[in-house]
Amino acid sequence: MTTLSLKKTTSAWIITILVLFIIAISFGITMRFNQGRDINLNPDTFYSIMTVHGVTMIGIWSCAGMMAVNYLLSRYVKTSVKLNVFAYAFTVVGVLMIWASTLIGKFHAGWTFLYPLPFRVAWAKWGTPLFLWGLTLLAVVWLVWAIGMVAQILRNYSLSESLAFQHLSRTKTPAKETPPFILISFVSLIGIIICLVTAAILMALLFAEYYSNGGFVNDPLLVKNLTYFFGHTIANEALYLGLATLYEIMPEVSGRPKFKTTWYVALGWQLSLFFILTAFFHHLYMDFVQPISFQIIGQMASYLASIPSAVVTVLSVIFLVFGNKIKWNIVNGLFFLGVTGWIIGGIGALIDATISNNIVLHNTLWVPAHFHTYNAMGNVLFSLAFFFWVGNEFVDSKDYSKFNKLLLALLIIGGFGFVIMFYIGGANSIPRRYSVYPKELNLGDILATLGGAFASVYLLAILWIFIDLMKKCIKVFSSAR
Amino acid sequence: MDIYRFNEKMYKSIFICTIVLLSNYISFAQESNYNYDEEKDIYKVISNVTIETEQGNQKLSTIYETSPTILVLIYTRCYGICNPLISNLSEQIQQLDIKKDFRVLVVSFDAADRLSDMERYAQQFDLQNDARWIFVTTKQIKPLIESVNFNPKWDSTIQQFDHNALLVGLNTNGYITKKIIGIRGSNELQAMLKEINNEFIVSYPLPRKNMLFSCFTYNPTTGKSELSIGLLVMLAPALITFIIVLSLIKLGKKQRKTLVK
Ligand code: HEM
Ligand SMILES: [Cu+2]
Repeated sequence: MTTLSLKKTTSAWIITILVLFIIAISFGITMRFNQGRDINLNPDTFYSIMTVHGVTMIGIWSCAGMMAVNYLLSRYVKTSVKLNVFAYAFTVVGVLMIWASTLIGKFHAGWTFLYPLPFRVAWAKWGTPLFLWGLTLLAVVWLVWAIGMVAQILRNYSLSESLAFQHLSRTKTPAKETPPFILISFVSLIGIIICLVTAAILMALLFAEYYSNGGFVNDPLLVKNLTYFFGHTIANEALYLGLATLYEIMPEVSGRPKFKTTWYVALGWQLSLFFILTAFFHHLYMDFVQPISFQIIGQMASYLASIPSAVVTVLSVIFLVFGNKIKWNIVNGLFFLGVTGWIIGGIGALIDATISNNIVLHNTLWVPAHFHTYNAMGNVLFSLAFFFWVGNEFVDSKDYSKFNKLLLALLIIGGFGFVIMFYIGGANSIPRRYSVYPKELNLGDILATLGGAFASVYLLAILWIFIDLMKKCIKVFSSAR
Repeated sequence: MDIYRFNEKMYKSIFICTIVLLSNYISFAQESNYNYDEEKDIYKVISNVTIETEQGNQKLSTIYETSPTILVLIYTRCYGICNPLISNLSEQIQQLDIKKDFRVLVVSFDAADRLSDMERYAQQFDLQNDARWIFVTTKQIKPLIESVNFNPKWDSTIQQFDHNALLVGLNTNGYITKKIIGIRGSNELQAMLKEINNEFIVSYPLPRKNMLFSCFTYNPTTGKSELSIGLLVMLAPALITFIIVLSLIKLGKKQRKTLVK
């Protein structure tokens, strides 16, 4: 049952996420224009902006996934609005702390804050603790939130039902059905819990060093492993949460019967729980001190991780879309486009996760190229689709027909144009995270300017969406029912 | 809606907390003493000016192309930082007993200095016969100091330049690979020597005593690295999550039972 207070909280999330998104995109465009030498920022300003852009983006789209799942979960199980409000309020505080540390304190160690960078203070001294405490707050709050949602699922479904084990048999029809939405949410939330626990451990280690005055020091390799286990996993699980909403809403708005949990859907998502956790080994290719087996695991798991979720989802979406008369609208249009962006970004990721290529592509613009594709043109679109869908719920309308082709065109041209410039840069060995490129790499300049221009088109589309959604979101707060 | 009343209160208190926190941080804001000037012009090629040496005029590139070079900018009339800078550098180089190939090129940025002044200056530090040290002047002071972002200011009341103590590390392609501003420890100098020789510099701490959780430890008797306790830390998140889920399952079962009753 979705209550009015759940709608209000969801509406507050959407407004906040979109406002932060617009600011974070503006930071992104600013970076691109600086790299293109169209404007001239101090390096410390550039890196502060880069840091706040990265954390904000990862943060808001993880939240978007969690709050969408929270909303839809209330169709199947009893959910707690208090928990949702708690998560919202402290997320705002956490974000303010991080923004203060980066924009006022000029903390700029990158969103990965890779050890020992946070302790090589090149900013206001309070920047490091404020940034780390802000992240800790977010990690703990989201951990509580995710645990709460898993608890709510486990109250209605046993563990094996939550994982849809009863659907594995191809002959028997199970007594109790597990909807794909429950399965995928459950698997993703478990992944989120694992990576947030990792974040908590990581923060504990960093604080131990920070407050012990040299009594305790960290092993850079261990901290790196923990950091990327956390970073890689949260970025991927956020996308899986978006897929959960896709499975739930896309058939509904297309006028088709709901997706069923078939044996291959069940198997695919069960496997992905495991592979997504091992795929992070591809972040260890350059750590030559580690055993060769880590590298082999990294490459194999990266390939295997993509098969279950991607193949199963693409098949499901293809069955839905082709051969049926589909009513296209903004919601399923965004979902469809999002799947396309996710697959393209995924292929880009696999190319980079192949060891022989990684030697060339490591830390080039290829990296932001692939993750911006499956984020800006993938996960973000899943969440925007949910926003449009839920916006209609806010105003009690089932009319999605206002389907604006120009809006989608702006998104496609702006979004893909923006990432293509990253891909070309990466293929030409332009490094990532340079505030300006040395003159030997001046191809990077022109690509950056073009990328910034395309991103501005993308921003235009987002502003349009923002204005459209704001009307519906604000209405919820004035409705009395 | 009860929850929304609770909500507003919560927002208010959070808002106030945040403002207090922020204002605290801002009022106690101490700037760190990190020197961004050391990063200016890094990885740019130095201006290839003509310098005047005892062997006659030559291009700067003829020096740095034969061996990596530390460029020092001084003037002989200086009462300030120039003397301590040179004596400190020559002491550190002697103490470090470096086998690496490199040279120290001391250039005057004062148009009044002649080659003979520089010779006298070298003698003052007993460096006139040290093949590693070269003391020169140039007619192209401006392009040289501009390309390394060195900005001395003439103070006519004390008749002295107000200037930094600057060391510029050049590799054999003439790239500025590291700068050191001020008189600093010998580890900085060693880092500069590695940098101008295009060597890898570890920027992270190596294993040592207070490092409790490391992924690998080195066994001196076998000469191999072995898996270590840090890798257990990597397994902890999965284990902790497992325990969390187990307890949630128990909780769920209990709640279902009470519901049935
Ligand atoms: C059109 C919108 C966007 C623009 C213009 C933009 C721009 C940029 C730029 C210029 C960089 C620095 C690239 C470099 O290393 O040289 C960057 C980094 C990054 N972006 Fe975006 N971005 C956008 C959207 C997103 C989205 C949607 C996400 C994630 C959900 C995201 C996450 C990140 C992350 C994690 C980094 C890495 C930061 C770091 O290296 O510490 N960005 N972005
Ligand atoms: Cu990854």
